[in-house]
Amino acid sequence: MKEDMILLREIERYLEGEMSEQEKTAFDELRRTNPLINQQVEEHQLFLQHLGNYGQRQHLQAKLDKIHQQLDMPTLRKQAQESNQTAKRLLIRRRTITNLAAAACIALVTSLSTIAVIQNVARNKSTAQYEDVRRVLNNIQRSQNALINDMNSKSKAPLNPGTYGGTGFAVSGNGYIVTNYHVVAGADSVYVQNNKGEAFKAVSIFEDISSDLAVLKIADSTFKSQPLPYALKPQNVKLGEEVFTMGFPRDEIVYGKGYISAKTGFNGDTTAYQVSIPVNPGNSGAPLLDGKGDVVGIVTGKQTTSDGIAFAVKSAHLKHLLDEMPKDKQIRRDLNHKSHLEGMNRVDQIKKLEDFVYMVKVYN
Amino acid sequence: MVLWVTKCLITVLRVKQNQDITRDRELLLGLAKGDDKSLEIIYSENFPVVLRMILQHNGSEDDAKDVFQEAIIVLYEKVQSGDFTLSSRLKTFLYSVCRHLWLKKVQRTYGLYALSPELEEVIPATEELEEHNARDQEFRIMEGAMSSIGQPCQTILEDYYLHKKSMQEIAEKFGYTNAENAKNQKYKCLMRLKKLFFDQYKTP
Repeated sequence: MKEDMILLREIERYLEGEMSEQEKTAFDELRRTNPLINQQVEEHQLFLQHLGNYGQRQHLQAKLDKIHQQLDMPTLRKQAQESNQTAKRLLIRRRTITNLAAAACIALVTSLSTIAVIQNVARNKSTAQYEDVRRVLNNIQRSQNALINDMNSKSKAPLNPGTYGGTGFAVSGNGYIVTNYHVVAGADSVYVQNNKGEAFKAVSIFEDISSDLAVLKIADSTFKSQPLPYALKPQNVKLGEEVFTMGFPRDEIVYGKGYISAKTGFNGDTTAYQVSIPVNPGNSGAPLLDGKGDVVGIVTGKQTTSDGIAFAVKSAHLKHLLDEMPKDKQIRRDLNHKSHLEGMNRVDQIKKLEDFVYMVKVYN
Repeated sequence: MVLWVTKCLITVLRVKQNQDITRDRELLLGLAKGDDKSLEIIYSENFPVVLRMILQHNGSEDDAKDVFQEAIIVLYEKVQSGDFTLSSRLKTFLYSVCRHLWLKKVQRTYGLYALSPELEEVIPATEELEEHNARDQEFRIMEGAMSSIGQPCQTILEDYYLHKKSMQEIAEKFGYTNAENAKNQKYKCLMRLKKLFFDQYKTP
């Protein structure tokens, strides 16, 4: 213990440079020869260094504490709290905005996709809701037709009744007939047949796809022209006006009665009416007539989802179409005179009319 | 035109930042020399930000003080060692060190998962702190050893080794008959301190 202390004192004297030159050389010699003492010296050096660091840090700490005490803590506290509150508010606001933005995005995407889906569905539905009323003739009808043809042997029409059927009506005495475009679309040959069973070959001379109308001309020598009993009414008919139609949903002419139920057609089509009238496949192209026997429209199709709703192209549009036709195909204006059917009762009107309504048979 | 204005703005900002860094470097130079004024400026300018940060993360004012002072010590050690060049602004450096220290403190106290997710590091300060941790360890050991050798011993050693007082002064202060007696007492104390210190301090 005592020796340790003496050694420590010697080491300190050595490190602090208090030794005389002679002593120092002796001590250096001792360090070199005695590793234990050398280690002690180094250890002490390290210790002093640590002690120095310790002191330095304590000193610094004291200075810091002093500075800290000089700070105006109440003010700083208040400032910090205030700024924290604004930061918190901002954070909340930012969070709210972010959330809102996310919600808005989701809402937007959802509504857009919903609209897209609905529109898609609606489009699909529209096509499903609208149906052309041309007739697909089946075998039974064919055989029936064949029988009729047998009975009326003067007809030169082919025995085959055709693939599709519709209705058409004369717009001039010399064999111009209006029907629907969809009836004659893609036809190889077209025959028209009246209620008496007389069939004539016809050719389509003008087609308007947008309004679904086609003009046929009878190209048959046996056809005899006769004056039309009815006229084309270019004015719009009033809502609720009673109308009737005659068409060939079967091989027999069929009379149907109804009224104008809307001034626009399918999906708001302004060139057409909505008509509440029984319509069946085969009625396509049938004339729509008012009480005076004037043509007010052409039956084109019906709505599949509800019964008794049909659509008819307005006669004004037909007139427009006839006016538009190329000069070389111009029709004699038989339609402009006054109707001969006015004042007649319905039965007589029909009797007069049925000669001018044709069944259109299409082969393809 | 817009481009030109933007360019000018960027230049101005850069110059401003450079000025700030230059000023920060001057302050650090002062700190290295032990200039109390520099220390005071650094302390009073940066403490409010740290206080705000700690308060924001549910710390107390004392927490803020502890953390900030530790950061200053880190900075001081760095500057003293002489190989420290300031790459970011002093404010950023202190702020990130404080954040890091607070993070560790919270982890120690409340466990790993009690952390708010916003308390992430701005600048990773791990490197700076590793060195500091070693030094801090040494300091704690020395502090512990000092406090366990008793008041008179501690004062003698501090007076001699830290406050660089002469043995004569110490002898007078403690009422020893002569400096030689005081010296003997000092060696006794020193030996106890060394023993306590090296018991815990493993020589590398």
